[in-house]
Amino acid sequence: MSERPAPLPTDRLNRLSQLDRWLLPVASNLIPRAKRSDWVKEWQAEFWYLRHGECNARRQRNRVVEILSLARGMVADAAWIGMNSLRESKRGSAQSCLVQLALSCVACGAVELFYEGSWRSLLNVFFRYFIGRFMLVALPAIFVAFATMPRRPRKCNRGQARVSGMLPDNARWNLFLTVKVGLSLILGFLVCVLTSLPVGKALGHNGDWIDVIVSTIVLTTSLRLALDDQKHRCQRCLRLLREPVRLGPPSYNLLDWNGTELVCADGHGSLQVPEMQGSWCWYDLWVEVDPSWHRSFSSETCP
Amino acid sequence: MILGVLMNSGKLSHTVAIILKALSLGYQFGFDIMEVTGLPSGTVYPALRRLERDGLVSSNWEAEQQALQEQRPARRYYTLTRPGKEAEATATKRYPLLSRLIPEKAGNTR
Repeated sequence: MSERPAPLPTDRLNRLSQLDRWLLPVASNLIPRAKRSDWVKEWQAEFWYLRHGECNARRQRNRVVEILSLARGMVADAAWIGMNSLRESKRGSAQSCLVQLALSCVACGAVELFYEGSWRSLLNVFFRYFIGRFMLVALPAIFVAFATMPRRPRKCNRGQARVSGMLPDNARWNLFLTVKVGLSLILGFLVCVLTSLPVGKALGHNGDWIDVIVSTIVLTTSLRLALDDQKHRCQRCLRLLREPVRLGPPSYNLLDWNGTELVCADGHGSLQVPEMQGSWCWYDLWVEVDPSWHRSFSSETCP
Repeated sequence: MILGVLMNSGKLSHTVAIILKALSLGYQFGFDIMEVTGLPSGTVYPALRRLERDGLVSSNWEAEQQALQEQRPARRYYTLTRPGKEAEATATKRYPLLSRLIPEKAGNTR
């Protein structure tokens, strides 16, 4: 490493300089700001070594191909880092949950449209199914789901309602829950229609009972999943909590607290879920932390 | 655990196995790995990032002072972590030809 290799021919040097000067700043825009300077420094160092002759015979023969491959590699590297950071930042977020539900609805709708062949006949099927079967099952399922809805975790440090966006936290929590339940119902409806189409064609009216059973299972499950999912979300940013850790030893006399703690990846707080929820009010507890603790919790600070 | 997941899900591809082998033989920089494996930069760098994210590889910056003394920029070098070494051993067992494919780096004091 300490030995300095011989310099490269001038035309190759020029091409490498152009990559360094023009493409590197452009590609670096794909990288999140926090990682950008390290990435640029790494590639500049690698170019320096390449420019100063760390090459082999294969490269000498194929100069243009090599430069193009490097350019492609640099952009691919930047794009991968950019995509990965975006995926990490959106993982478990409220937006990604709603987008996934909406896309699933669109996919189910597209399959049904393909199956039925025209909008008119599809809408006709939707209407018949909605009035004839879905309403019968959906209304009781919604009632049961909300009657047994998990309680929203209590806040440990109650303060003034916080506004971290356009809406206060409580309003965002309820809005997200409403939209998610709505999309889950739509998706459940579309899945039920999707399963009823082949069943109806195969069994005729005898398939109605199967439709009702399928609708009950699909709707109850989707509503339960939507409500349970809400319970394990950060009350500030609505991101899914992660890193579950078991705390406290199981107690012989059942009086000591033991359970699981989950944290928000953005460092807003932690959710303490007791192992046993007894009649003495061991509810889930949301412990919101002071902003000065964010760096300790947050995954952004991890190497 | 990561290794188990990688092996079970089939994510320990030939490319990853080659890169892990190169790292274990003392090739620590992106271009070094490209040179010895013949893989393009568009494969090597994203693979290194992915391995780093999965905890099989860790990266460190070379000491600035040493680089300055030798009048060259500091480089970021990659090394195998303990799960990375286990993955490399598994990959070598699975692809025995790897050992013959990549020569050990001159001056490697592993």
